[in-house]
Amino acid sequence: MAETRTMTPRERVLKMFSGAEVDRPPCFSGMGNVTTAGLKNFGYKFAALHSNARMMADAAAATYKLTGFECGVVPFDLCVEAEALGCEINVYAHLEDILYPTIRKKIIHNEAGMETVSIPADFAGRGRIPLVKEAIRLLKAGIGGEVAIGSYVLGPFTLAGQIMELNDLLKLSFKKPEKVGRLLEMLAEAISLYIRELEDAGADYITVREMGATSDVLSPRVFKNLILPHLKKIFSRTRAHTVLHICGKTNDIAVSMTESGAGAISVDQKNDVAETRKKIGSALLFGNYDPYNVLVAGTEEAVRQAVRKCMDDGVDAVWPGCDIWPTVPVENIKAMMDEVINYRR
Amino acid sequence: MVTEEKRQELLNRLKNSVIQYDEDGAKEASNEVVALGMDANDAIFNGLVSGMEEVGRLFEAQEYFVPELLMSADALYAGLDILKPHVKQLDLGVKGSVVIGTVEGDVHDIGKNIVKMMFDVAGFTVYDLGRDVPLDKFVEEQLRTDSDLVCLSAMMTTTMVGMKKVISDLKAKNPNVRIMIGGAPVSSDIAGKWGADGYAKDANNALKDAINMVSSLKKMKEEAEAKKRG
Repeated sequence: MAETRTMTPRERVLKMFSGAEVDRPPCFSGMGNVTTAGLKNFGYKFAALHSNARMMADAAAATYKLTGFECGVVPFDLCVEAEALGCEINVYAHLEDILYPTIRKKIIHNEAGMETVSIPADFAGRGRIPLVKEAIRLLKAGIGGEVAIGSYVLGPFTLAGQIMELNDLLKLSFKKPEKVGRLLEMLAEAISLYIRELEDAGADYITVREMGATSDVLSPRVFKNLILPHLKKIFSRTRAHTVLHICGKTNDIAVSMTESGAGAISVDQKNDVAETRKKIGSALLFGNYDPYNVLVAGTEEAVRQAVRKCMDDGVDAVWPGCDIWPTVPVENIKAMMDEVINYRR
Repeated sequence: MVTEEKRQELLNRLKNSVIQYDEDGAKEASNEVVALGMDANDAIFNGLVSGMEEVGRLFEAQEYFVPELLMSADALYAGLDILKPHVKQLDLGVKGSVVIGTVEGDVHDIGKNIVKMMFDVAGFTVYDLGRDVPLDKFVEEQLRTDSDLVCLSAMMTTTMVGMKKVISDLKAKNPNVRIMIGGAPVSSDIAGKWGADGYAKDANNALKDAINMVSSLKKMKEEAEAKKRG
């Protein structure tokens, strides 16, 4: 059944963030949702999107245009901040298959390097930061009247894991937390600088992705003592609407996540959302369907079931646990939208 | 010959060094094992590995997390480096060689390294391809080394899809090879669908699986020794 409600997707998302009443939960994401179906219309290759603002914006808008998925989000990879800080990235341009860019060369090579690294003076103009801003402007000009425009950044701990060996970072978080704390402080500043650029370009909401802090990896105690203070600073400095996303096990840190000051928290399929809802009261909670096993590899009925479960468990927005893998069948996204629109009418 | 009392003391020290991620302690106890001429296999399996088993339990109980696991692994390696040259060739009755790596597009190798450590301990020959490994490389290396087992790791939803192709390529080239996949986004369902033989759900389960493998090797070794004595 078609939507008969009058709120536009943009109004719905922005109202929800502001705490106003909405007609139904939005169905959107703050993370990557580019589809190969969308790319096909333009003849774009996935590897080429990351370094071309026009292509990035086209690809992001295509998901909404094809399926009604209620947002436009750029970029598609997780390397923008690290690259602007001086890391070298690999976009796997030689491959036909879809591979997300990774860091090829880090900037911190040993413990001493943690103390000497700093934010480059022209940080906001470095790497692909100007390109992402341009993509946001183009996206905003294209579909910004209809849907909210989102972008994302890494959390300071996850970013630290990109610019130095994750192995070392994890051990030092335990052995020398003060040293790691100083690095996170610096990175939180860099992240805020980047967020300001994204805001200036017109991003309506920013998702901070701190997946390195999942309870699969780090104890809730370390998250609270070492990482949370820096997340708090980032959120207090951000003007756009904000989401804090952490994947994996998050039930034991959900309350801390809301204390970060983020406008909403986002969790993945490993979170028991019904339990989290009880713990965090009325704080905005997004999640938590499995973006690969359900949305890409599942049947339409499995998708519908997952949507109903999210809504029954009490999410404020039906939202994926991670980036959506691009080969997602368009029919599955449409089924998801249809279920969100028609369930509990 | 060391007395049983001294043996127990050293085994406990080795074990506790791993649990308390005390590299120096592990080195000291291992040096003593060597100086006293105690059986290095005994020290590895009933000292170091026994400690790692406890670490696995603490990890599962969420008393330990990945940093503690990594530090314990460092302590284990500190001891292993000293003890390994003194290990007499194990006759385990299995041909242990494994190709291991993180698939292309993924630069996370912690889970892979923990699994690798257990293979190292078990005396497997490990061909570690590292991280961000081009898919064809797994097939090439398996054929080159004629390894029994290939372990593929992917830590992100966005990288695991590549494993599907490696599995089918490997099976096409060598139907007998055993394939184990692991990493946060992987499920037993996916492992089954893609034709993998084994699956390790996360670092925790990878460790558990690896420990199970080593434990069963320990058992086989004990049985082999009992037969020899019998």
